[in-house]
Amino acid sequence: MTRQKRSHHKLRRAVAPYLYLSPSLVIIGLLMLLPMATVIAYSFQNSAVLRRDPSFAGLKHYQAIFADPVFWASLWHTLYFTCMSVIFHMTIGMVFALMLNSDRINPTLRNILRVLYILPWLFTAVIIAVIWRLLLEPNGVVNSILMQLGIIGSKVEWFSSPETALHAVTFANIWAGYPLFMVSLLAGLQGIPKDFYEAADIDGAKAYQKLIFITIPQLMPIIISISLLDFIWTMQVFPLIWITTGGGPIYATEVLSTYTYKLAFSSYNLSQASASAVVILLISLGLTLFYIRYQRAR
Amino acid sequence: MAEVVLENICKTYGNNFRAIDQLNLSVKDGEFLILVGPSGCGKSTALRMIAGLEDVTSGSLRIGGVDVVDMPPKDRDIAMVFQSYALYPHMTVFENIAFSMRLAGKPKAERKKRVDEIAKTLQLTSLLDSKPANLSGGQRQRVAMGRAMVREPAAFLMDEPLSNLDAKLRVQMRAEITSLQKQLGVTTIYVTHDQTEAMTMGDRVAVLKGGVLQQVDTPKRLYESPVNAFVAGFIGSPSMNLFEATLKGDELTAGTFAIRLQDAAFARRPGLRSYAGRKVVFGIRPEDLYDSSLESGRKYQTIPARVTSIEELGSEHIVHLSIDAVRVDSGDPDAVDDFGRASNAVAKFEPVSTARSGSEIRLALDDSKLHFFDPETHLAI
Repeated sequence: MTRQKRSHHKLRRAVAPYLYLSPSLVIIGLLMLLPMATVIAYSFQNSAVLRRDPSFAGLKHYQAIFADPVFWASLWHTLYFTCMSVIFHMTIGMVFALMLNSDRINPTLRNILRVLYILPWLFTAVIIAVIWRLLLEPNGVVNSILMQLGIIGSKVEWFSSPETALHAVTFANIWAGYPLFMVSLLAGLQGIPKDFYEAADIDGAKAYQKLIFITIPQLMPIIISISLLDFIWTMQVFPLIWITTGGGPIYATEVLSTYTYKLAFSSYNLSQASASAVVILLISLGLTLFYIRYQRAR
Repeated sequence: MAEVVLENICKTYGNNFRAIDQLNLSVKDGEFLILVGPSGCGKSTALRMIAGLEDVTSGSLRIGGVDVVDMPPKDRDIAMVFQSYALYPHMTVFENIAFSMRLAGKPKAERKKRVDEIAKTLQLTSLLDSKPANLSGGQRQRVAMGRAMVREPAAFLMDEPLSNLDAKLRVQMRAEITSLQKQLGVTTIYVTHDQTEAMTMGDRVAVLKGGVLQQVDTPKRLYESPVNAFVAGFIGSPSMNLFEATLKGDELTAGTFAIRLQDAAFARRPGLRSYAGRKVVFGIRPEDLYDSSLESGRKYQTIPARVTSIEELGSEHIVHLSIDAVRVDSGDPDAVDDFGRASNAVAKFEPVSTARSGSEIRLALDDSKLHFFDPETHLAI
């Protein structure tokens, strides 16, 4: 092989991986990076989108949203909704996974429970919202059962009362999201060697000690990964809240996603909406970086 | 330290499969007993029953004179070393060894003192802060031993603890475990399918087959006086050669050759005379077969054989042979590996032997080392 041919071959080998990557890079660039950059640019412009030649606004829109009490209420609701969802997704998912992994439950019953527990995962956000609106309406099944049991004295307007609305949408979201944890933790549980528990039995470990000293440490990588992903996903939930409460009543369930949507498509203040979107982006980015660092550390 | 006694122990699983059938075994205080047998013979099941990890279907099991059949594992005063070591990957060596003390609520200072003592014995002191993933196979094995020792149990139970190690390390760890057991003097029951471990480590060896105890004896007696063809075939590597023959007077005839038996052979086995004119199974170990062209083989009678292949190991030659006789299956599934398709006998020759693959030779055999078994029951005569 001549020197020229050899260097040509070398160049082809060096370029080839980038050629294979190029279609996905172009798609990501066009569908993700470009809109993201545009939104960031809008957040620094006056009358973005609405005017052909928008003027530079500096940090004005950021100052405006930070001065808006509804933004802070939305941020607090988002954090409450997200934290409660993740904590309960994990707790319920863990309890159900432990039940499904237990030898003490009849195998047939276990298979039936496995299907039942995973059902919420099969529904889209819209169907979940409709189901819970029907169940939680003042004349719905939930009120009827709670009244018959004597837990409540009169009908509660779960989604329409400012005191209960945020808890109600959080509850619906918890119900919809625990199967991911359950399935992931069940897979993790099935991967823990039986020997670990037998050795612990011989050493005199009680059931709760086996959970604390063996099961949870063994599941920790899954718990951390799924929790971080769930946190990122739940922070951005929009359809469930939009369909059940629309962010109301009186901003009681307003979260950052609905707040941003309203700024953009109700008030047509696309510049402030962009600033709000950038804030969501920064919070998500922080968590994503934390997740990537954790994955790398493993 | 304690005596472990199994009386009429049976284990039947839900599908009516009987894993252990009427197992009677008594392990003396401080004794090192090896449970050996081919895969699926029930040796691990028996050990797990002693540990309390499997329920006993029927029979009695006593450790230190106490009936432990209905006791949970933690109350049996035993410690177990698992085949996988079962070391907790998220804990350090110190935490792994101290785990049972931590569960028992022992103070930190006491835990540290005890773990330090054990680490010194097992040469693990410099590794106490390491995680199991950073240890070699031999070090992990020692940590597993440490975890068992920390409890100061009445008995050690070991389930194939060396099977995950490479051949060289296994030899080293064999010696380490044996000397440690002697030093501690704790009753030990050790399960293995490796008969080299069985022969070199234990005070006594119990051979199991199909859940039934075949023979319990010292390694030497097991090797020299197997009670049946299975034990004869299972103990020893390569396996004992077993053939069918007819006893005619004082001659053993098989195919085209005959082996004359000495009077001593009949004197040692009075029952052998009753097989006159009948079929009998005779066995001879590979090391009792010689190359007749060498000095070592000249004094023995010879039979014709064809060499099919040779494994030159340096210190000896494993010679695969074909002789004119019907080979008898001892019932040991591992024994089949010793024979190729073309061969039905194996011999160990001195490395100076000039026998070559394909050559016809005269095979000398030490007839005083012959073993005899009933062709129907396979019991020793």
